[in-house]
Amino acid sequence: MDAFLLIPIVLPMFFGALLLFFSFREKNTAPGGRRERARLCLYVSAVLGISVALALAAAWSGDRELVLFTLFEGVPVYFHVDALGRLFVTVVSLIWVLSALFAFVYMKHEGKEKRYYGFYLILYGVLVALDFSGNLVTMYLFYELTTLVSMPLVLHNGTREAVMAALKYLFYSMCGAYGGLFSVFFLYRYSDSLNFAPGGTLNQAAAQGHEGILLIAVFAALVGFGAKAGMVPLHAWLPTAHPVAPSPASAVLSGVIVKSGVLAVVRVVFYVAGTDFLQGTWVQYVWMTLALLTVFMGSMLAYREQIFKKRLAYSTVSQVSYIMFGLSLLTPDAFTGALLHVVVHAVVKCGLFLTAGVFVYRFGYTRAEELGGIGKKMPKTMWCYLLLSLTLVGIPPTGGFVSKWYLAEGALQSGTGVFSWLGPVVLLVSALLTAGYLLPIAMKGFFPGSEHLQGLEEPHGIEEPGEGAQAHSSRKALGPELSPAMLVPLVVLAALAVWLGVFPGPVSEYAARIATAVF
Amino acid sequence: MAFVQNFPFLSILLSLFSGPLCSILSGKWAKRVNTGVIVTTGVMSAFVLQHVISTGQSYVYQMGHFPAPWGNEIRVGILEAFMACFFCAVMLLCMLGGIREREEQIQESKQNLYYVMVNLLLCSLLALIYTNDLFTAYVFVEINTISACGLIMIRQTGRTYEAAARYMIMSLSGSGLLLLGICYLYAVTGHLLMSNIREQVQFLAQTGQHHLSLMVALGLMSVGLAMKSALYPFHTWLPDAYGYSTLSSSAILSSLVSKGYIFLLIKIFCRVVGFNVVNESKVVNVLFVFGIIGMIMGSLSAIKENNLTRMIAYSSVAQIGYIYMGLGLATEAGIVAGLYHVLSHGATKALLFVAASGLGDASGNSDRFADITGAGLRNKLAGTAFLAGSLSMVGLPMFSGFISKFFFAQAAVGHAHKMFPTVIALALSTILNAVYFMKTVIRIYTPAPEGSVGGRQIGVWEQPAKSAALVCLILLNLILGLNSDPIVRLIQRGFEMFD
Amino acid sequence: MRIQYLLENYEEAVAMILFGIGFSNLLLQRNLIKKIIGLNIMDTAVYLFLALKGYISGRKAPVVEEGIQSVEAYINPIPSGLVLTGIVVSVSVTALMLSLTICLYRRYHTLDLDAISTQLKKEGK
Repeated sequence: MDAFLLIPIVLPMFFGALLLFFSFREKNTAPGGRRERARLCLYVSAVLGISVALALAAAWSGDRELVLFTLFEGVPVYFHVDALGRLFVTVVSLIWVLSALFAFVYMKHEGKEKRYYGFYLILYGVLVALDFSGNLVTMYLFYELTTLVSMPLVLHNGTREAVMAALKYLFYSMCGAYGGLFSVFFLYRYSDSLNFAPGGTLNQAAAQGHEGILLIAVFAALVGFGAKAGMVPLHAWLPTAHPVAPSPASAVLSGVIVKSGVLAVVRVVFYVAGTDFLQGTWVQYVWMTLALLTVFMGSMLAYREQIFKKRLAYSTVSQVSYIMFGLSLLTPDAFTGALLHVVVHAVVKCGLFLTAGVFVYRFGYTRAEELGGIGKKMPKTMWCYLLLSLTLVGIPPTGGFVSKWYLAEGALQSGTGVFSWLGPVVLLVSALLTAGYLLPIAMKGFFPGSEHLQGLEEPHGIEEPGEGAQAHSSRKALGPELSPAMLVPLVVLAALAVWLGVFPGPVSEYAARIATAVF
Repeated sequence: MAFVQNFPFLSILLSLFSGPLCSILSGKWAKRVNTGVIVTTGVMSAFVLQHVISTGQSYVYQMGHFPAPWGNEIRVGILEAFMACFFCAVMLLCMLGGIREREEQIQESKQNLYYVMVNLLLCSLLALIYTNDLFTAYVFVEINTISACGLIMIRQTGRTYEAAARYMIMSLSGSGLLLLGICYLYAVTGHLLMSNIREQVQFLAQTGQHHLSLMVALGLMSVGLAMKSALYPFHTWLPDAYGYSTLSSSAILSSLVSKGYIFLLIKIFCRVVGFNVVNESKVVNVLFVFGIIGMIMGSLSAIKENNLTRMIAYSSVAQIGYIYMGLGLATEAGIVAGLYHVLSHGATKALLFVAASGLGDASGNSDRFADITGAGLRNKLAGTAFLAGSLSMVGLPMFSGFISKFFFAQAAVGHAHKMFPTVIALALSTILNAVYFMKTVIRIYTPAPEGSVGGRQIGVWEQPAKSAALVCLILLNLILGLNSDPIVRLIQRGFEMFD
Repeated sequence: MRIQYLLENYEEAVAMILFGIGFSNLLLQRNLIKKIIGLNIMDTAVYLFLALKGYISGRKAPVVEEGIQSVEAYINPIPSGLVLTGIVVSVSVTALMLSLTICLYRRYHTLDLDAISTQLKKEGK
């Protein structure tokens, strides 16, 4: 029993719920005064700061574990910190703090801030709990809660489109989660326990003769939890839900929430079913095919998409499936690469969505072709954007290169026949496409050509009809550059993206250690 | 014989005679008597439960001390006592939650008659649970039907009359078939007491005599009770009856009345006919198939519905389907899962009905979807309760619904033929549940558009009784969800006592 | 299934036919009164069946007369008791149904349940 684990989970949930309670109490949703907003930001940063500190302290101080209570025979609600959970908690905390910092400024023009921060805080608690989960049922519980709590972030602006997108998100995630639950039913029967253990807990004797059904169960879990990670066939919610959310929310959705799907898949495959069980079965091949298909398709769709945030969402679809592909190869190197890519993609995609937020916030730009010449107006933002894009493409000194290197290496060694060379080819093609849909924006941004310069003078395409005039005037008052609260997260993220490429040692060694434990 | 062993009989008698007593009291006093009776019977059942657990074996209570072939018997085991206790608790909460609706919707002069019906209903439920005699069971099934009909029609609107008429017609057809089945069984075996019939049936099954007659009897009884408890193709009366009657009635009807019949059916399967014979017959397969169809069709109809109460009523159709699916698996695990779902659904459905009425209060007494927008913000407790009920229905761990789903799936895994249909049906129905419940939850938490009329804020203390009922029901739900281990062990022990 | 069985047990066959008639009337008739008649036919058919099960040819009703106490002299009394109970139940159910019918008729001036439903839908309540 180690109650300390519970504090970083319960604390943000409690204070978030408190905030929600107050947000429902107040009648008018009109934005409050300056002082009130400052108080709110102070409150959120205090709660978040303390929770993050506690979460990291809990994560990096040994293998803590905690049995809360027993749900039914042999299945308690059980938290256990292990290497994988530690990695994910660190990523989540990092992204959460930076994105909150960005939101303090950004959410001014979205309104209903208390509600946003309330759910934001609760979601942090849920995610920490998800990462600390020690068995499948606990993980399932917090996985469902993640869906439920992140849904209000998607429907934040309350338009019909947003609500429909949220419902779509909910529907896909619930369908997927049921796929996961389906596998829990079977794994509960045929494994020693549902507690996670590196290498799997499948009971060979009990599973004897039931391999077929177990494979189907694991496959259901892959597809189901893959829904959250945007893997084909349940990927369609992602490009709908991410663009309608406020930008800081899409940043965490794309950076972190989709990773909870990845985490769930890793837990099921590597910590319960075991790699030996899947090696060389049809499940592995179908999984690889789906992942590669998603990688390619996501990039193609992103390439053709003109709405900037939607393009980024498609890019998420494609990039997260890099991770999925790495996992599906079932080799240590590819696994290391996948975990690295989890970190890299979280950092990069969060940063990219935040830049998209900057464009929306400052100019109301949502379409890619509107962004010409923007580099002249805000060079710092655009430099961050460029660095982040290069990382996502995988140009050598950046983090993306390292993770993709591991992935390709793993694929070549995997001995999966045609996939061992098809995989790297698809990854390469997709990288080219990534370059094709991200870099032109940077190029146009810095070198717009003559025809764009006039259009820049007057911003157009304001997104919030009611607050348009007010937001407009506030933009002019802000001056040409961004406020530090918005710029700092961008710079930090861009620096991190590069740093991960220049000094990949600590992270990749850490990931490799997990990989050796698992295989 | 310990004095506590008289309690089941006394509780039946008490609720039976308090019925006529209420008819000569004023409405207010009838309410007090009714509450007293429910509490007393609940406490008595708790004592009986404690007694049976401590002795570890069931006992048979002979009425008037007439021995077997002539006398009428009551049989009490862990499961019976536990069910009685649970039914009393849920009934009390349902009555508590609907006080104000009853005062508004029932004529002043007929208030006391409502309590007559409730007392009789309680009596018949207890008798259905405890009785060891098939014909007595039939008589109390009819009493149950009559009092349930009274509960529906007491609101005295055209809708409720029509609903009551349809309910009666379906229900009476069901009782006709049940009676015929009982007569068949009597003709074949020559007994009416459950234990005696069982001996005879086992003997006949071993020697292979009268196989056809036995199957016909079993089929008739199953179909009869399935009709009465609104299994899928016979569910047409249900949405009207639950949707338009007064709050306590719909809550009691959906969470208890249909469960009484299901409990009787389980008793018939396990104690009258014997599990092995049931297992060989095809009747369970039929129940299984219709259970599964009901799960899907009920949810589909609920999605189409644009009235909150009727949506919840349709969801009952789906939940009844779950229970029949569990029965249809025809394994001990399946029936235990079914019994657990009886508890879980009883607690959840009552919660949802009471919460829905709370939401309606905050929206100008309307339960149409268009009007309840933002109702969860206007009535916080009801909103929270509805959220809790929905999450339980959707099957989030920590709520009771997840546990019963898990048990159904565990019962199905490893079953030769029925594994895939069960798991797939569970999947589909969970997703459909998620669609309509989450849609509603989003709606009640979306702020109402400007200029909409009828909504008003409702505080927690405005209707203390309803708030108390909601809190208790949420707690009941959480207890079932978090503390399932001892309860399941109790059910299993009680189930083993059936033999 | 040989026709001979049917002929030997023609009473039971008649009871079942009656049950079928009653049952289908109860479910299929549109008129409420006819439904109630169907209900009564159905119940009566079951009582006929029960009474037949208790009847042993050549014996008397189980009322002790002239001091004959031998069991051989009388028919099985239990089914008769059941029939009596059943009749009580059926009377009360019929009374309830009739009162419901009266309520509905006063309101809607028709005995056709489907017509009442359509009328209700028109009212839109």
